[in-house]
Amino acid sequence: MSQLIELRDLWIATHQRDLVKGIDVDIFPEQVTALCGPSGSGKSLTARAMMSVLDVAPGLRGGHLRYPTIDSKKDWFADVVGKGMSGQMRLLKQTRHLRGHFITYSPQSASSALNPGRTIGRQMELAIARRPNPPTSLSKEIVRILGQVGLDRASVAALPGELSGGMCQRAALAIAIAPNPDLVIADEPETGLDPVLRRAVIELLVSVVRQNGAGLVLISHHEDTVDRIADAVVRLKPQVMEAK
Amino acid sequence: MIVDVKNLVKTFEQRGIFPWSPIRQVKAVQGVDVQVAPGEIVALVGQSGSGKTTVSRMILGLEEPTSGEIWLNGQRWDGLSEAQRRPLRSKFQYVPQDSMSALNPQQTALEHITETYKVLGEQSASEAKQSAKNLLVSLGLSERLHALPREMSGGEQRRVTLARVLALNPKLIVADEPTSGLDPERRDSVLEALFGNLPKGAGCILVTHDMAEAKQWCNRIYVMLAGRAIEILDLEKDVPQHPYAKLLFDPWGAPLPEKELSKVGCPFHSNCPIVLHSKCAQTLPTLQSLSDSHSISCHALYTTSNNTEPESVSPHAGETP
Repeated sequence: MSQLIELRDLWIATHQRDLVKGIDVDIFPEQVTALCGPSGSGKSLTARAMMSVLDVAPGLRGGHLRYPTIDSKKDWFADVVGKGMSGQMRLLKQTRHLRGHFITYSPQSASSALNPGRTIGRQMELAIARRPNPPTSLSKEIVRILGQVGLDRASVAALPGELSGGMCQRAALAIAIAPNPDLVIADEPETGLDPVLRRAVIELLVSVVRQNGAGLVLISHHEDTVDRIADAVVRLKPQVMEAK
Repeated sequence: MIVDVKNLVKTFEQRGIFPWSPIRQVKAVQGVDVQVAPGEIVALVGQSGSGKTTVSRMILGLEEPTSGEIWLNGQRWDGLSEAQRRPLRSKFQYVPQDSMSALNPQQTALEHITETYKVLGEQSASEAKQSAKNLLVSLGLSERLHALPREMSGGEQRRVTLARVLALNPKLIVADEPTSGLDPERRDSVLEALFGNLPKGAGCILVTHDMAEAKQWCNRIYVMLAGRAIEILDLEKDVPQHPYAKLLFDPWGAPLPEKELSKVGCPFHSNCPIVLHSKCAQTLPTLQSLSDSHSISCHALYTTSNNTEPESVSPHAGETP
């Protein structure tokens, strides 16, 4: 089992304070890794760092990031530490081909993250286009993936505004798995859903990702959910303000 | 009783896209009784689409009921004209879900609340400002008096909308998911601000789908399913018994429902682990009391727990269509 992500000693700071410091994360395929912690503890920031998306100034002050399946040696953060915004922008360009293909991201509050002016089918098409080998029948593939997340053929032509909250969440998940990624990062997929729907969405997420043989990073602050489904848990603490 | 609602029904008409397409009747609320005594905090819980928001909006007169009676503070409320309602409105208040759009983007927190006191007309301008200041300080907003809505965090915005409601010294507050979209830690601070500053003798209806909130704060919980209350309980004394209520309180404890709610019989029977006999699929169970604080609507449960003929709480709720 080859490791997908190896993140060591992540340290991100603004001019005033540290946002995250000393975080290690290891991600393996077919495993669920949960990022847990109160708001402001840097859960989303850590997840974004795993995708090489850094946009804080001066930002990265320390850490190593490896994608062993892509390049077994390369430390992607080597040229970025201490280089501020320009280094982070360079990294963003270097890793562009990885996002949306090797790693996909399913955002918080799906209904506002989906493009309101494009049908679900069109948004799926764009996601599938990120694959190196496009499928022979695009429409069949779209229907197959939508079926996996429990949406029917009718939602291909639907706009996000015509779907309920739970259905939007499923559509966002379908888009996240459409490029056949090795790793899916789901940022609080259960926000705003009622408890029964919340469980349904989480179970769906885990089963679909496992079926595809991918890894899953789940950002959540529901302890009960995390306890039940995560194989590994990374707990983050909010960094205390320090005077400089 | 601050609120006494009897057999409330609401049917929405859903029109198709063409003028000649058939009009569909959507039964959002199908016979609900709600009582709120002075000083009581009552929760309406249920999944999305269970009718809890519609009930709360009808109680305030924001939605006209199709049938049923609403008594607020001993006065008949439904059927009144807007002019008749207007002088009473300030006593029955609503906390909106989305505080950003409920606040004026050009007004500071202090201006919002001062205006509320001025509209009440009992105080001079300077007194109004002082009372507004006091109220905001008691809600923990002493640092944010002169902040505009966009400069405040979600939790602070919510507390300003709460302050605006509390300033009116209402008899009833209906809070429709006042914590949705907030982080768990901020939720507590908002609810503490609301329930800690509740005027004496006021009642409160909290609409929520966070069971932990309902458990922590509420005296009585109405579990709603498909437009009806299927279980009414006080969590300090009672344990949820209806299989649907159990699922809602502990979603990981049982298999998830797979089938849709049925229109005939008990709405939950197709997913129910304890279906008794054909009765569940044919007749709608009525709400029966198990104890003073606990009522339940389930064929299987009152035959097992109550051997004597159960006393009917609501004669209307159970009639089959």
